[in-house]
Amino acid sequence: MINIKEFNMLLLRFLFVLLLIIPVMGCRTFFNGGVLQSEILKAKTKVVPALLHLNPVKPVYTLGKKEEVIVVGSGFVVSKDGYVVTNEHVVGESKKVKCILSDRREIEAEVIGTDPFTDIAVLRLPPHEEYAFVIMGDSDKVQAGEIVLAMGSPHGLARSVSMGIVSMTDRYLEDPRGVISVFNNFIQTDAAINQGNSGGPLINLKGEVIGINSRILVGAENVGFAIPINIAKEVVENIIKYGKVNRSWLGLNLQEMKAITEDINKQGVVIADVEIDSPAYRVGIRSGDILVAVNGESMHARFQEDLPQVRRKLATLEIGKEVELTIQRGDKEEKIKVIPDIYSPYKGQEVEFTEWGFTASEITSEMMKRLRIPNKNGIYISGVQEGSIAKISGLLAGDVVLEIESQSVKNLEDFMNVYKRAIDNKQPRVLLFVQRGVVTRYVLIKNVKEEQPAIKIMEEGRSTPHE
Amino acid sequence: MSSPVIVLTTLVIQNISLMFSSSQLETIYNQITPSIALVQYSSEVTNQITGEISRRDGNALGLIVSADGLVMVPGFVEVENISSFNFRVRLNVKGEEREFSAVKLRKPDDLNIMFLKIDNDENIKFPFAQFIDEPLNIGSIVAMIGILGETVDYARCITTAHVGAILEKPRLTYCLDENVRIGFIGAPVINEQGNIIGVVGFDLSKAEGGEVYTRSGHPLVYQYALFKKYIKNPPAVQSQDDEQGAWLGVITQPLTDDFADYWNLPKEGGLIVATIVNPSPASECGLRVGDVIKNFNGTPIKAKYESDVTSFTKLVREAGVGSTVKIEIIRNKEPMTLTALLGTRPRKSSEAEEFDWESVGITVREITPDMRIALSIDESVQGVLVYRVKSGSSAQIGRISRGFIIQAIGDFPIRSINEFKTIVKMLEDKRPKEITLFAKIGNISGFFRIQPRWEK
Repeated sequence: MINIKEFNMLLLRFLFVLLLIIPVMGCRTFFNGGVLQSEILKAKTKVVPALLHLNPVKPVYTLGKKEEVIVVGSGFVVSKDGYVVTNEHVVGESKKVKCILSDRREIEAEVIGTDPFTDIAVLRLPPHEEYAFVIMGDSDKVQAGEIVLAMGSPHGLARSVSMGIVSMTDRYLEDPRGVISVFNNFIQTDAAINQGNSGGPLINLKGEVIGINSRILVGAENVGFAIPINIAKEVVENIIKYGKVNRSWLGLNLQEMKAITEDINKQGVVIADVEIDSPAYRVGIRSGDILVAVNGESMHARFQEDLPQVRRKLATLEIGKEVELTIQRGDKEEKIKVIPDIYSPYKGQEVEFTEWGFTASEITSEMMKRLRIPNKNGIYISGVQEGSIAKISGLLAGDVVLEIESQSVKNLEDFMNVYKRAIDNKQPRVLLFVQRGVVTRYVLIKNVKEEQPAIKIMEEGRSTPHE
Repeated sequence: MSSPVIVLTTLVIQNISLMFSSSQLETIYNQITPSIALVQYSSEVTNQITGEISRRDGNALGLIVSADGLVMVPGFVEVENISSFNFRVRLNVKGEEREFSAVKLRKPDDLNIMFLKIDNDENIKFPFAQFIDEPLNIGSIVAMIGILGETVDYARCITTAHVGAILEKPRLTYCLDENVRIGFIGAPVINEQGNIIGVVGFDLSKAEGGEVYTRSGHPLVYQYALFKKYIKNPPAVQSQDDEQGAWLGVITQPLTDDFADYWNLPKEGGLIVATIVNPSPASECGLRVGDVIKNFNGTPIKAKYESDVTSFTKLVREAGVGSTVKIEIIRNKEPMTLTALLGTRPRKSSEAEEFDWESVGITVREITPDMRIALSIDESVQGVLVYRVKSGSSAQIGRISRGFIIQAIGDFPIRSINEFKTIVKMLEDKRPKEITLFAKIGNISGFFRIQPRWEK
C-alpha cells in the first residue's frame, strides 16, 4: 500500500538519484530501472541483521541533581562475538544498555568503554551466541557523490533506512571552544538523519559501513555528519583492549598554516597556544612556533581539515618516551626533546551531594578549556538545585571550591571527607572558600535542613534601610 | 525679579473618605500641576551584547522640588548602559511655557531616582512640590499626576490608585494595585488629605536588585523619607572624575550574623576581605584574605548586608588619594591595626579608554579591573579587549569578534592600549597588505590574518 503522495516523493527521489549516477552507470540504468533498486535492497539486507535499536537509561547531572533519563539511539554489531559500536553521547555513563535486535529480541549489553573525544562507545552483547555483524569498509576511499544509506531509529522509529549521497568527505566541524572532535573530520551526507539515528551505520551500496551517524546541523535540511569508520576502527580496538583510548599529551593547541600565511610553500603546523605546565611548555615551546616534524616525520596542516591527522599523530606517541620535535621559530629551526604525558580525560568524576543539593566534579585540563574554569585546584560546582541548602547559602554553579573548613581541596576525596564528617556530626555551619571567576569569596553553608531554612534565610539575605 | 514661593501642600480634605470626589481631584490638579515639568534629553545607549552605541531622545516627568530649580526625575534616565545629557526642562512659569537647560547631579546609589539642577540665571522662584512624611495603609487611595504622550501635547493627567501591598523589607515601600503608564514614573503621590507623600517609582536601586523600571513591573511609592536627604542636600554635579578617588584594592563581603556566629565574633557587622587585588595598597599594607575590617580611618564598619559594601567603597573613595589610613581588622580572632597608603582608583569600564582602528574596523578598550571581574579575565592576561567589530569590516572577514583579547600584532606584543596605539600608528605608516593578530578567546588563543583597508 502506498499513497500517491508518497509514491510521487519516491519517484522524485528516485529520479534525482538516477540523474546523479548517470555519469557513472550510464543511461541504461534509467531504462531498465531495477539495477539501483536491487543494489539498495542488497546493501540494506546485508546490514539489517546487525542493526540495533538502543534504549539506554543514562545518568545525567542536571541542575545540581543526578537523574536517569531514557534515551533512544542506534548501534550496530561489529563482530561475531557481539561487540557493538554506537555513539558515546547515546550511552553516556550508563553501565548496561537495553538493545533490541533486528529479530526484535531484547538483550542487555554491557558498556565496555567510551571515548568522548571521538563520540564513540563500545558495548558487548552476552557472549553465549553468535551474532550477525557488519562489514566495515574503508572510509578513506569514500568519494563525494557516492550513494549511501543511513540506518537506525530516527525519533525512536526502529529499523528505518534513508538514502542520500556523500556530500563531502572531510568536513571539519569547527567548535568555537575548539575541544570537540579534534581528532577527526566528518563525512557529510544528505541522507536523512534525525535524533535517534545517533550511533547507527552509514553504509555504501556494497553494504559496508563507512561511518557512524552522529551529528546533524540544526536548522538545516539534510545536513548530517558521520564519523568515518577508519577513525572508529582504531578507537574501537583501543576500547576493546583497554576499556578506553589512551592518548599522549604535549599541551599544544594547533592551528592551520592558512591562519598566518597564504604562502603554500610554508610547511608545518602553527602552534597557537601552549598549555601552562604542559610538557611542551616546560621545554620552552611557545605560541607562534611552527611544528615542522615529530621524530623526523614531517607535519603539515595547510587547512583546518588537515589538523585532526596531526593531532592524532601527537596523541599516539608513547607516553613517557622522549620524542624530538622540529620547531621553527622565526627563521631558525630547532630540535627540541620532550616527554609526552597522558592526555587529560574529557571530564572529571562527578558526584551528587544530596544533603546540600549540588553536584561537583573534579577538574581536568580539558574541562578548564571547555568550561573556562579559572583554577585547576579545587572542585568544580557543576550544578546547584533550586531551594537546596547550597543554593540558599549562596553557592553558585561554576564556583570552584578551594577550601572547606579552611582545609585545601585538591580533589573530590578531600572535599568528601570533610563533607561527610559535617553531615554525620550535624555541624550547623560549614565554611567554604570559593573562586568565582577571578574573585574569591567565602560561602557559609547552613547545614540544617529541618528548620525550613528557605524562608528564614531569604529574609536575612535582604538588606535593611540605609536611613 | 522674584515672585512669592508657591507652596503646594494644602489640606484639601478634612474627613477620610474612600475615594476622591471630582472637585477634590480638580483642586489637587490645579495646585500641583505647576510643579510638574517635562524633561527632554538625549541618551547614548550601549548595546550590552554588541557594544554598539546608539543615540536616542528621551522624555521623562520632572518634579520640581525646590524653588531654585532642583528637579527630581526617574532613575531610568541614567543606568549602567545609558548615559544621558543635554537636559531641557519645560514648564509653565507664570502662564508662559518656558524651556530651561539643566545639569545632572550624581545619581544616588540607594534609590532609583535622579536629580537635575536647572540653570537658573534669572533667579526665578519656581513653583515646587513640598512633601510631608505620612504613612499609607493597605487600601489607602492615592492620586498621581503624570504626563501624557507627545500626541496630546504632554498634557498633565491625574489618576488614582490604591495601596495594594506594603513591603517591610528591604525597607518600607508601598506597592500600588494598578499599573501606571510610563509618564507617571516619578509622578507625585498625593494622599487622601491632599498631601504629597512621595513619588511613583519602580525597582529601588541597583544594590537592592534592580534599576531598570521594567524589571519588577510593579509601581511603588517611594515615600518622602527615602529621598528627604537629597532635597535638603542635593548631590554634587556629576563630573568626569566622579568615579576617580582613593582606592584600596579589596573585594569584601559583609560579616553577616551567620559568619559572626561561625567565627565566634560579636554580631556587630564588619567586612570580610574576600579578594585582594595584587599589587594594590591593600596587598602592600599586609591585608589578607579572611581579615575582617572593623574600622576604616576612624569610621566603624558595621556592614551586615550586601548593600553596605557600596557605602564602604564610597568611604574609601572619599578618603583622599595618597592619604594614609588606619584600618582596624580582626585576624584569627585578634584585633590588629594596619596602615595603608591609598592609591588612585582605577578607571571603571564605562570610562575605559577606547580606540577606533578604522582601517580594520574594530574598537578596542583598555581592560580595567572591573572588566577583569565581569569577564573573568585573569591578571596574567594582558592586551586590549575588542569591544566593537564593524559590520563588513576586514576584522569581521578575518573572524575577529567582540570579546577577543588582542595580545599581539605581528611580532609586537600588546600589553596596554597605549602599546596598541603605537603599533597601529606604525602600521598606518607602513601599510602592510596583511597583518596577523594574536588573540585570546576564553582559555584558547589563536592567530588571525587581517587585510586592512588603508585609507588613501
